[in-house]
Amino acid sequence: MRLLVTGVNHKTAPVEVRERLAFDQNALGAALRALMKRAGVVEAVILSTCNRVEVTAAVEEDCPVDDMLEAFLAEERGFDLDRIQPHLYRHEGREAIRHIFRVAASLDSMMVGEPQILGQFKAAYAAAKAEGTVSGFLETVLTRAISVAKRVRTETEIGQSAVSVSYAAVELAREIFGTLAGKRVMIVGAGKMSELAARHLRRAGATHMLVTNRTHSRAEEMARLFEAEIVEYDRFKAALSEMDIVITSSAAPHYILRKDEMRRVIEARRNRPMFLIDIGVPRNVEPAVNELDNVFLYDIDDLAKVVDANVQARHKEAEEGEAIIAEEVERLMERLSARAVAPVIVSLQEQLEQLRCAELERVRGRLGQLTPQQEEAIEALTRGIMNKIAHGPIAELRKNAGRPNGIPVVDTIRRVFRLD
Amino acid sequence: MHELSIFWLRAAAALYSVGLLHAILTVVRRSAPLFRGAIGAFRVGVILHLVSIVERGVSVGHLPVDNFYESASVCAFLIALVFLFVHWRYQFASLGVFLFPLVFVLTLLGGMEIPVAGWQNRSVRDAWLVVHVLLILLGYAALLLTAVASVFYLVQERHLKKKQPRAFFDRLPPLGTLDNLITSSMGFAFAFITLGVITASTWAFIESGTRWIRQAKIGIAFLTWGVCLGMVFLRTSAGWRGRKAALLSVFALGLSAVTWAAHVGLRTLLTR
Repeated sequence: MRLLVTGVNHKTAPVEVRERLAFDQNALGAALRALMKRAGVVEAVILSTCNRVEVTAAVEEDCPVDDMLEAFLAEERGFDLDRIQPHLYRHEGREAIRHIFRVAASLDSMMVGEPQILGQFKAAYAAAKAEGTVSGFLETVLTRAISVAKRVRTETEIGQSAVSVSYAAVELAREIFGTLAGKRVMIVGAGKMSELAARHLRRAGATHMLVTNRTHSRAEEMARLFEAEIVEYDRFKAALSEMDIVITSSAAPHYILRKDEMRRVIEARRNRPMFLIDIGVPRNVEPAVNELDNVFLYDIDDLAKVVDANVQARHKEAEEGEAIIAEEVERLMERLSARAVAPVIVSLQEQLEQLRCAELERVRGRLGQLTPQQEEAIEALTRGIMNKIAHGPIAELRKNAGRPNGIPVVDTIRRVFRLD
Repeated sequence: MHELSIFWLRAAAALYSVGLLHAILTVVRRSAPLFRGAIGAFRVGVILHLVSIVERGVSVGHLPVDNFYESASVCAFLIALVFLFVHWRYQFASLGVFLFPLVFVLTLLGGMEIPVAGWQNRSVRDAWLVVHVLLILLGYAALLLTAVASVFYLVQERHLKKKQPRAFFDRLPPLGTLDNLITSSMGFAFAFITLGVITASTWAFIESGTRWIRQAKIGIAFLTWGVCLGMVFLRTSAGWRGRKAALLSVFALGLSAVTWAAHVGLRTLLTR
């Protein structure tokens, strides 16, 4: 059985090509059925996401496939093959397995370590399973890919750190407060970014929120969104000492919170830590505020640096992920190869057993009446001889299974023992 | 005549002990369920304390500050008066966390001027000393935890301040978790060390009368307790966190190590 993968992703094709090649979830079943009708295709699966469209197929060993999958993709999506050919990648055999593992483990994603791809991968597998287009060989590869992806996520920290500014703010808040349950949040200036950060904080457990904005209607809108209280803009500073987290994104052209004010606030809080997230441009909080003990001020650039560092860390973790994948590819290749020589081994064992029984039957008349103990001893003796004869060839078959230069060895053993 | 003065002083110490209990509960449980009872008992204690001082003053014919015990008693009384005034004027209840234990211990020391009868039962004597050692060791262990957690807090705080993500210190717990750990361990350290000091003082008083009070190692032990008391007070009233809190807790730990070193060999007392 040969394994082939072809497709496009965010690295090989622009969005105009990807969006035209993408399969609608409802049309996936029909596409899979069409693919299965192609000559030599035994199993197939189609993965279609916003960053990737790829077709994977297990085809018969001796069937010439050439660019069969590429042609299928072009015809199915109404493209000229020559037009999409430059954007397509193609992997076969071991490389195809490695590619499938990397995709499932999110090592080939636009944002390395993002968790959605595994869900999309599982959905593609489920769709193929529902259509009956995976079983046996490809199913083994796909289910193994899902396990490998989980292993990569568990054994590395590839998906641990935040890679968006708003989520980085939540991660930092967790580093300061531990749990965010019961923490009080004030949103000063109801912009889009602060809305996003507030949404993440609320999801993380910070349920008590206050909103203030120069434009009252916008404050009301956001207050409704988060079931928050509204504070008048000219009075929000009086409530600051009660707040654990303050998000500022006011359009004010000057600092709205200064060091002296914050010193009084933190004293009133009896030094309980306070996290200020300043996403306003120009900045809303005087940078010197960060010099105060137990006040942690992060502006938009600081958060961006956190995100950059996290992205780099993910790439570093991805190296470990690659090592895991290399190990898993080897393991699966061994398994698949062992599976390929299994029929030869079974055939050899059956052949030798038939030989043993026939020879025993032939000489039985000359042996005369045997006691049960003698019968047992002869059985054990002949079986032992056969096992010893079989041991060498079986060991050679297992050793050479999957090796490029192992095929002649397998063929020789077949011929020697007349296993056809 | 002195006996009556000491009696009133010891009665005052007994009433002040409610304040001590309040302080311990405030630090350990972070709530003050006993404050009303403690302040009531404290007021009555101050009256009895005044009676004791007046009685002694009449007896000696002047203000009784002739020796360590009398000075401790008068000092405790004045602190108690100041506290009652501050509480009446400013409602500064959290000051009680610091002053209740201080007044209690000073009054207890003041009441140790006249020796009581020796140990009635030798096993009680030995058990008492073992309980003291256990309490102090538990206190030191909690103090060690406080110091370590405070240093971790400081490191984590600096790491967050410097905005250098993904550092080695990522493995440290969040500041909030460390803060809770510090508050709890500090509370237990204070409670154990205070009870350890009380058991030690009463044991030494019964064992050796008044001789022990002037020993240098006793001074160090009381200084350690005083630093713990100050640390707890600054934490609960002023919310000391970060650098200052870390330095103070490490200092308290260092002092406790010195106290421990000074008291090595206590075990031999059991065989005496």
